[in-house]
Amino acid sequence: MQEALHTALSKVCKVETHPGIMQIYRYDFLTIPKRLSRFIKNPICVVQPKNDEEVMKILEISERFNIPIIPRGSGTTGYGGCVPLKESIVVDMKHMSNYSFQNDSVVAESGAIWWEVEKSARKQGKSLRVYPSSATVSTVGGWIAQNGYGIGSLKYGSIGDNVEWLEVADFNGFKIVKGEKLKYYIGAFGTTGIIIRACLRLRENTGIRCESFQCSFEDAIKKIEGGYHANFKDGRYMQLENAGDRDTLLVTYEGEGESSELGKRLWEKRLYPLRALTADRIYSEAIVPYEKAVEFYRRTRGLSIGVEVVFARDSVIFLGLFGRGLKPYLKALKFVKIAEELGGSVYTTGLLFPHKNKFKRDFQDYKRKVDPNNLLNPKKGSFENAFSRIMKIGERFLWVV
Amino acid sequence: MGGVSIWDCIKCGLCNICPVFRAEKLESVSPRGRLILLKEIKKGSIKLDVRIVKDIYKCSVCGICSVVCPANLDLVKLWEEIREKLVERKIAPLPRHKKAGDITYRDFNPYGGDQQKRSEWLDFSVGKSKTLYFAGCTASFKSHNIAKSTAKALKNLGVEFTVLGPQEFCCGSPFLRTGQKDLARMLFKKNIRVWQKEGIEEIITSCPGCYKTIKEDYPKFAKETKIDFNIEVKHVSTVFSELMTKEGNLDLVATYHDPCHLGRHMGIYEEPRQVIRKAGVKLIEMERNRNFALCCGAGGGLRTQFKEIAIAIAEERIREALETGANLIITSCPFCEYNLSRVGGSRIKVLDLSEIAERTVSP
Repeated sequence: MQEALHTALSKVCKVETHPGIMQIYRYDFLTIPKRLSRFIKNPICVVQPKNDEEVMKILEISERFNIPIIPRGSGTTGYGGCVPLKESIVVDMKHMSNYSFQNDSVVAESGAIWWEVEKSARKQGKSLRVYPSSATVSTVGGWIAQNGYGIGSLKYGSIGDNVEWLEVADFNGFKIVKGEKLKYYIGAFGTTGIIIRACLRLRENTGIRCESFQCSFEDAIKKIEGGYHANFKDGRYMQLENAGDRDTLLVTYEGEGESSELGKRLWEKRLYPLRALTADRIYSEAIVPYEKAVEFYRRTRGLSIGVEVVFARDSVIFLGLFGRGLKPYLKALKFVKIAEELGGSVYTTGLLFPHKNKFKRDFQDYKRKVDPNNLLNPKKGSFENAFSRIMKIGERFLWVV
Repeated sequence: MGGVSIWDCIKCGLCNICPVFRAEKLESVSPRGRLILLKEIKKGSIKLDVRIVKDIYKCSVCGICSVVCPANLDLVKLWEEIREKLVERKIAPLPRHKKAGDITYRDFNPYGGDQQKRSEWLDFSVGKSKTLYFAGCTASFKSHNIAKSTAKALKNLGVEFTVLGPQEFCCGSPFLRTGQKDLARMLFKKNIRVWQKEGIEEIITSCPGCYKTIKEDYPKFAKETKIDFNIEVKHVSTVFSELMTKEGNLDLVATYHDPCHLGRHMGIYEEPRQVIRKAGVKLIEMERNRNFALCCGAGGGLRTQFKEIAIAIAEERIREALETGANLIITSCPFCEYNLSRVGGSRIKVLDLSEIAERTVSP
């Protein structure tokens, strides 16, 4: 059957089947312990469509052969969103990377790189409202598929809050998704359709003024009002980044004005994240309501080895760093559990946390309608898998830490 | 793999900024992809084959991956070590790299140029000196303008130097970058023998590849072969920057392209800019400059074996240069000048820093 599949796909676009290359497309940023890697499957092949027609033909072939498809951007998410759990066709969207501007918005194809879009927007006197700290490499479709928070989230919220509409493809063709229905696609990891293009709201490129403070988290949270972007790193995190040992807050504001030296330096480093992460550390992320953020910060300080915080419009995003091994893994899970106890949630679902999807039932019902054969990135988003079951087991042992 | 562990990669993918990956868009040519391939080969889950070897060589060794790597991996060192091991195991070099090597074994330069005509570009006579101007193969055989301008500028700045002509041999840089270390070692021995005989104490290079090789790799070869190496090595941009006191008034608007081997590899960013400013040239920076500069696409054997990728990368760089509004790119590397000028064509002029220096210091 694989030969027939290959023949069919070859008529549509270039098909990659080299066994070494399939190993690369098994992974994204998520580090999977060796013992668990047996739950991951090698893709059957990787295809790189260049236009809508090719995407549609790939979907037809997927349906005809009953082989799942995994949409993939740059593979820079740490949630396993594009890790195949079944033998699948990986649809690498990087060749669909065009974009065009219309007044206060940009329509970008899924494979467009955020920073490329931003650079072009600036030439029009505009700017993206939010973009990921991995903007130099990550794709529009990928970040929407995980509903990320990033630069600009203090004023403008998550990327999901800034999507006007999405054009998605599923087995019934293409459709424009707007309003209420966007919730089935934003943060859904391509489980309900392949994001083809997105219309994103822009802001005026007014320039950015940067301020920084060396202050406690409790003080930091009081200093961010009226900001465009703000992030905080505790002294331990700063040490791990070799950037000093003081609790440090960066707040930036839209508009021209005098910036502080440290503020400018921190702002310039915004696109070079993860400096505290090494191969022997893991991280965990949680979303916490503002009114509980200080309590969360205090309760989790003993768990992590360093904390970075991104302040968003309606909530606070915490990233905790942990060592490697069973206990640190449990601490990372407890980090999320405490957030949940305080009315917060896990950052996103992906491969690890589909059981934590708040709209699980509603989402599953919708998925069954648009993807009755469960071929679109199966076992992710809201459907459980071996990894989420292991996470659930781990959650029973949080008393250990 | 020497001092760099492939297991330290955190798979974040920030190295997908790699210009070759941006041109090819397949993850087996991204640094992260290559590291995954190497890990899987080590684990025994896949076999090394021609396809993987080719993807390993689809890299200009520009080093931007190391700049953005949060784990601070010295990936340039890693890529060069891997290529060396591939050559040791006779799975590499790739055909065009091998051909360049074969030509160099025969002619002592990769262009097949007649060594007797190596200093044909020199249009005035030079005597004996302890300072050697080492023009390098590209300036000696392909880009005479650079060698001529450098020599004239040095002369006008009062530098007494010699040129070794037929006794100057390829420094071995293209072969170190493509894993052909034996050939590089042979060239080291040939050069050092002549330099010792001539009593050379200082070497000035035009080419950042020669500069890196003679300054960083030759002392290692010397240690290995128990030869004394007490030669001071300078890139010409440093010499110009130190000696140019006269303010020029060149009425030019230019952008500067940082050569990877001079900038990221050797940390020389400001000296060429000082020369440009002293020359009276209005300098407009490209968005990606200094340690974040985009490669021209030619280095690391990329242009030799995968010309279409080198051209695609140069095209991107030309586009960036045009966006500054400047009508001139100044660079400080014969190989960058060669690649950018051919791709830029009539759209933008490309000059080497030596040509700017020569115009400024001419009496």
